[in-house]
Amino acid sequence: MRHTMKVAAVVSVAALTLAACGDSGSDKPSSSGSSSSSSSSKKSDIKVGMAYDVGGRGDQSFNDSAAAGLDKAKSELGVQIKEAAAVNGENEAAREERLQQLIDAGYTHVVAVGFAYAASVGKAAKDNPDVHFAIVDDASPDSKGANVDQITFAENEGSFLVGAAAALKSKAGHIGFVGGVNVPLIKKFEAGYIAGAKAVNPNIKVDSQYLTQPPDFGGFGDPAKGKTAAEGMYQGGADIVYHAAGGSGGGVFTAAKAAGKLAIGVDSDQALTAPADVRPVIMTSMIKKVDVAVYDFIKSAADGKELTGNNVYDLKAGGVDYATTGGQVDDIKTKLDDYKQQIIDGKIKVPTTP
Amino acid sequence: MNRLSPRRIGLALAAPVLALLVAFVITSLVLTLFGDPVLEVWKTILHVPKPRQTVQIVNAATVFYLSAVAVAVGFRMNLFNIGVDGQYRVGVFAAAVFAGQAWLPGVFNVLVAIVVAMVAAGLWAGIAAYLKVRRGVSEVISTIMLNAIATGVVSWLFAKVAQRSEGSNITETKTIPESSQLEGLKLIPGATNRVFTLVVLAVIVGVLYWFVLGKTRFGFDLRATGRSETAAVASGVNVPRMVMTAMVASGALAGLVGMPQLFGQDHNYGTTIQSGLGFAGIGIALLGRNNPIGIAVASLLWAFLDIQSNALQIGVGVAQEIVFIIQGVILFAVVIAYELIRRTDIRLEQQRVARELAAQRHSTAATEGAPA
Amino acid sequence: MVVVHGPGGAVASDPGRVRLPHHGPAVPDPRARYARPCAEPPAPTRARTRSVAITASPPLTQTTASGTPAVELEGITKRFPGVVANKDVTFSVRRGTVHAIVGENGAGKSTLMKILYGVQRPDEGTIKVDGNVVNLHSPSDAIAAGIGMVFQHFMLADNFSVLENVVLGAEKLHGIGDAARHEIQRISDTYKLGIDPDALVGDLGVGARQRIEILKVLYRGARTLILDEPTAVLVPQEVDELFGQLADLKDEGVTVLFISHKLDEVLKVADSITVIRRGTTIDTVDPSTVNARQLAELMVGSELPSPTTEESTVTDRVLLRVEDLVLGGGGGGRPVLDGISLTIHAGEVLGIAGVEGNGQAELVEVIMGMREPTSGRVFLGDRDISDWGTRDIREAGVGYIPEDRHRHGLLLEAPLWENRILGHQTEKPNVKGQLIDAASAKADTERIVKEYDVRTPSIFVTAGSLSGGNQQKLIIGREMSHSPKVLVAAHPTRGVDVGAQASIWDHIRAARREGLAVLLISADLEELIGLSDTIRVILRGQLSGDFDPDQVTAEDLGAAMTGAGEKEQTR
Repeated sequence: MRHTMKVAAVVSVAALTLAACGDSGSDKPSSSGSSSSSSSSKKSDIKVGMAYDVGGRGDQSFNDSAAAGLDKAKSELGVQIKEAAAVNGENEAAREERLQQLIDAGYTHVVAVGFAYAASVGKAAKDNPDVHFAIVDDASPDSKGANVDQITFAENEGSFLVGAAAALKSKAGHIGFVGGVNVPLIKKFEAGYIAGAKAVNPNIKVDSQYLTQPPDFGGFGDPAKGKTAAEGMYQGGADIVYHAAGGSGGGVFTAAKAAGKLAIGVDSDQALTAPADVRPVIMTSMIKKVDVAVYDFIKSAADGKELTGNNVYDLKAGGVDYATTGGQVDDIKTKLDDYKQQIIDGKIKVPTTP
Repeated sequence: MNRLSPRRIGLALAAPVLALLVAFVITSLVLTLFGDPVLEVWKTILHVPKPRQTVQIVNAATVFYLSAVAVAVGFRMNLFNIGVDGQYRVGVFAAAVFAGQAWLPGVFNVLVAIVVAMVAAGLWAGIAAYLKVRRGVSEVISTIMLNAIATGVVSWLFAKVAQRSEGSNITETKTIPESSQLEGLKLIPGATNRVFTLVVLAVIVGVLYWFVLGKTRFGFDLRATGRSETAAVASGVNVPRMVMTAMVASGALAGLVGMPQLFGQDHNYGTTIQSGLGFAGIGIALLGRNNPIGIAVASLLWAFLDIQSNALQIGVGVAQEIVFIIQGVILFAVVIAYELIRRTDIRLEQQRVARELAAQRHSTAATEGAPA
Repeated sequence: MVVVHGPGGAVASDPGRVRLPHHGPAVPDPRARYARPCAEPPAPTRARTRSVAITASPPLTQTTASGTPAVELEGITKRFPGVVANKDVTFSVRRGTVHAIVGENGAGKSTLMKILYGVQRPDEGTIKVDGNVVNLHSPSDAIAAGIGMVFQHFMLADNFSVLENVVLGAEKLHGIGDAARHEIQRISDTYKLGIDPDALVGDLGVGARQRIEILKVLYRGARTLILDEPTAVLVPQEVDELFGQLADLKDEGVTVLFISHKLDEVLKVADSITVIRRGTTIDTVDPSTVNARQLAELMVGSELPSPTTEESTVTDRVLLRVEDLVLGGGGGGRPVLDGISLTIHAGEVLGIAGVEGNGQAELVEVIMGMREPTSGRVFLGDRDISDWGTRDIREAGVGYIPEDRHRHGLLLEAPLWENRILGHQTEKPNVKGQLIDAASAKADTERIVKEYDVRTPSIFVTAGSLSGGNQQKLIIGREMSHSPKVLVAAHPTRGVDVGAQASIWDHIRAARREGLAVLLISADLEELIGLSDTIRVILRGQLSGDFDPDQVTAEDLGAAMTGAGEKEQTR
């Protein structure tokens, strides 16, 4: 009995520790967030509260992209900001509470980053009709409301372009895809990527792997898992791996560097944001301009035109794109731009499920 | 179980109080070390919760309680069911799928779905029990493995039944019909949100746990096995059967863990369902010393810390994960404190027995030899 | 180290040296009953003794060996909750001798050795090494004082070489390289251990491994070796080799403390023998003056008032019958129980004598349904209970007083009244239907506490806080309260104080008068002779024929138990 108790203690403490480690990204929710933009030149009545997904600011990916939009709004529009990040494995009530806390603290505009907030945004929007909301990656009836800006992206279109780039660059005719968590959103990346690759080379081999299964969202913040998955693909013969795995992507880059192969980044232009030593292996990135969407939301509010309804950021709207930093895709740029145009023109329909 | 005496109560309270103090000191040190505002953090965590937050605390505690009781059933007979996490996931998934079909009307749908969850989770735990009894596989190992397998199996089945509403990135099972959704109880005045209706379930489970373990033959056998398996065998307890029963019971209780949220909040099993409840249960059972009241207090404490910490990021700018440190330190400190106090207790009792016997001997002038 | 020969008797009986627990002056020395003239010369085993073992024996007139004793223990007492493991243990060990410590299992030898090796600390008493008082807080203190221990179970890593095993944890002494190798070689040569430092331990046999363990201890500078049951793991040839080795060690001035319960071996190898019984030193004898029987008698004899036999109450109604019980040993070894058959009638006490480990524990467990026999049947009355579970057997009226009350008889951390329920979870007054009837159980516990004189302040204290005797009285009270037809009692008075012992005997006798059939297993020959209607001896899983307790002597039983007198045994 006593022995069991001791083991139990160790295990449960370990579980807590792991939970804490898994979210190390959010250890530093910008403490500057509490300060208003006293240094900025302009002042605004708009106070923006930002609720990040798991990982928070500093994940070098999705959340960081949203943070960039927020920072831009702060410096250019002089809005006050406040940030808070989700905890892995939390429940619906915790998300609702986070939004409510921001509202209680007097924030007039609340940006919820990530589809997990769909229901809570819907609820908070109904309870607080005077507050304006934006939700990234959701356009469902759950979050619909007169005071909600539903921001979605055509990730499949952007992924199509990097898929095409991978196929054009692959010498082995064998590429890979690492998804963070097996959810429909990430499958959209996979679908576009495969479609783009097959458009170039119908016989190309594409390995796909997801790091975790919901409700475990750890796959978005576990570089070790990302590294293992990518290593497997490189050893299996793939020479380019595209990741849509948030913070786990760092592991994919490490694996690419070790194998002397290439990788494709996601969300931000990772050849600019990743640690310097792995930047050379990042051939291109599928840019999902969350920053633009977030900035648009705040900018419109500052201009007195609150955005509502579903705003789709696709290729046409410039919401997604591929990155050219590093010049590794310069030689195929014309081909890629050709595909881009075809998608914009509707000549190519990119699937959303693999 | 023992007659209460002031000494006993004092010792029983000393451990948790000590653990809380230690946790307070260590957390403060950590905060100071990283230059965070210590005072502000404690102010935020210890502020009087708003009615809305009180409801959240009760709701979170309800779920923790069920999870901890499930773990405690195993603990009481020295079985370490680390698989509550997997078992509850299997249970809540089965119940969500069943209830979503709406084969039965209203409350019947809820009741039968709860049974479905218990059966599914109990059977899942039964695998570990079978492996232990028949193959001698440690339940610690098998339940950890089964947690991973549960995640996989549920994801796989989920992919088959999941649906997605237009424009949403969340997949979920069919939402249970409105007649079976439990609106909740208005227990806390001034709160807009409601306490889970199935808080009732936690109360029932708590009472049953106390009754079955403390008052029945079955409970006696279970506790005897936990205290000394050899003595239990000699007393006629069929230990393998007991392992089987206790493990399945623990699993069935684990099946209840997801019920309050399923019927009172989520109304379906989706990708955003809460995880990690089973592990929280281990710590809470430990803190509550497997005692139904103790577990209730521990659950409320855990829920209080969880909910109150939500304000940390926004109010103080400190990551709310600091609560994991507090909880972890509490656990470590409490285990050490319990062990120290257990030893003190034994020593004190032996001394007391010796003293009282010596006093008796003096008064009766015993004729027989001194006890060894 | 004096052994005074009583006139015409070989039994050591120096009253100043024999330490007996205090009992009333009215109690005569129980051994007087058995101290009969010894007509035989010292047992023939002595004739086979290796010469090295006898040459070192001092003349009887010598009062103390020259020089300071290597180790002296004075008044060592160690208590554990509820039991006293060692009580006033006093003896001294001469330098350069093999000194044996003999005693039954559970007599307190292991605790004593742990104290000497610093694993446990005595509550009272002093330890002197080479005349200086030492405080041993840990094994490293013991090693620093020159005391090393070779455990029964070797602690060697198979995949390491001898050198690596020896230096492991002692790297500071001679490093891990050639210096260490030379030192090992030197020790091996000096003591003729014949060890190659570079051999892989995994390739070596048991005997060689034991020598490595000895070398390990010598390497760390020990001059006194404690060998815990060293022959338990050896085959006879290896035993002889070991004894040769011990002689060599002795010649080099090393002192050996040899723990065993195998009397013939002890007589062969030791220069003096200290007997421990019930945690205390009974006597230190010279092996040349005692034979195995006398030693056995010292080892298992009783210092207690004898349980007197009353007139027979044996009836012809068979209550327990065991037929040809066989329990296979693990791994195709010798069976643990080898064709045991016995019959106990109502009103009969069948005593089973035997040195521990000869199958008694297993016999009890098979009868109680805790173990499945390989073959054979057990009948309760005329019902075949061979396939029954323990609970059914207990419900059918078999009371059980387990050998190890802490492991099998009690929940030490539970209060007395819950312990009263244990073993009778399905019977009144403990339960009502499926529910525990706490009120009745508590009331009945009060009754037991009163009737069986369980000394406790209340029934709510934990069983672990009671003394051994009171724990045992509670168990007996509990078992008797369900009017059993058969009582299986294993060592019912072991570790029990004098007063409790007498009352436990009274209860067993009373039950016997009322027609109870008792299977009494004991290592205490007094108890067996005093209580039993029939005695049988168990040796290597086999039962001997009947002994009549009115005729038999402790000497006869002792001989039959140890197998020492097997050849002369005529029964």
